Amino acid sequence: MKKNGGWDLKLSLYILITLFVVAGCSSIDCPLNNRVYAKYKLAGSIKSLADSLTLSANLGDGNDSVIINKSVNTDSFQLPMSYQRNEDVYFMEIKNSTDSQFDTIKVTKTNSPHFEAVDCNPAIFHVVTGVKYTKNRIDTIVINNPNVTYDATKSTFLIHFKNSSSN
Amino acid sequence: MLTFLTANAQQGRKKVMTTVAPDTIPLFRGIAVSTDLVGPAQLAFGSYGQYQAAMRVNLKDKWFPIIELGIGKANAEDVTTKLTYKSTAPYGRIGMDWNLSKNKHDIYRVYGGFRYAYTSFKYDVNSPGIVDPIWGDKTDFNAKDVSCTYHWLEAVFTIDAKIFGPVRMGWSMRYKRRLFHTHGDIGEAWYVPGYGKSGNSRLGGEFNITFEL
Repeated sequence: MKKNGGWDLKLSLYILITLFVVAGCSSIDCPLNNRVYAKYKLAGSIKSLADSLTLSANLGDGNDSVIINKSVNTDSFQLPMSYQRNEDVYFMEIKNSTDSQFDTIKVTKTNSPHFEAVDCNPAIFHVVTGVKYTKNRIDTIVINNPNVTYDATKSTFLIHFKNSSSN
Repeated sequence: MLTFLTANAQQGRKKVMTTVAPDTIPLFRGIAVSTDLVGPAQLAFGSYGQYQAAMRVNLKDKWFPIIELGIGKANAEDVTTKLTYKSTAPYGRIGMDWNLSKNKHDIYRVYGGFRYAYTSFKYDVNSPGIVDPIWGDKTDFNAKDVSCTYHWLEAVFTIDAKIFGPVRMGWSMRYKRRLFHTHGDIGEAWYVPGYGKSGNSRLGGEFNITFEL
């Protein structure tokens, strides 16, 4: 092919075709972490729970769904949120060798659909507006970051437990 | 002996004086209109693409101010996620190409240039609904007329050649860099007219047929 002012047009064409092939490769740009969970991090004097922790969600129809089953040495846990309900209720059981203690957590929130791409599963993001809880074993729950999204690096709640002997 | 050699060397280095004829070519060399074939091919074989026309002015075969206008379309559906995405909107680019060839008046040209581009568009997302895996509720997942705007810059590298008469053909490679954008509450647009799939940066290409008027 004809040389043009130092530019070899044939070489330029090869470079362009290579770049087009590379650019034309289809890719799926979905986030690696595509779970939308509220993260509870233990704070205060008890940063790890030696007793076994079981958490279930109240489905509102008389049934529960176990989400975390007998977790031990727990320093944080993640709970899903309902797609369209304004309040989610979770039952917590903390069990040691001698007895069991039960608490209930009620989280109020708003829900908003989130679109990422056609080839990524749709998601529902949430903004936590409030939290209520019983105080059998739980001391306090503080809203740390109200936005519940794909970002699992920030804890949604900081949860403080009482010592099992303090009851 | 040394004096003789030095004198010979100086004679060998004697400069050849040539006179360079001044470039008397006029400033305005004409107008050319072009259309891109890659965008319609994308539409024909894929789920998004664009129709585009451009007009450029030839100044001294060196500078080529250009305006590009097009309509971008997306009509995508994913069988796995069951999501559909639709958008149709115009876009515009304005910029300049420089003829990088040593011989500016050759029938072959190599250009480098830039574009500033903008589009304002709306998109629809539809799905049959999603089912909550824990609570079992079915939730609507639809959005209509989500308004977005996009501003971006493009670095352009083009080669083209005269095929016959006023017809030229050539490739254009684009590196697109997003400047500013706005989007609705549901999330960013998946396809942006004239830009392609959304993101901070993207590579693209065009195959242009140009008619010199």
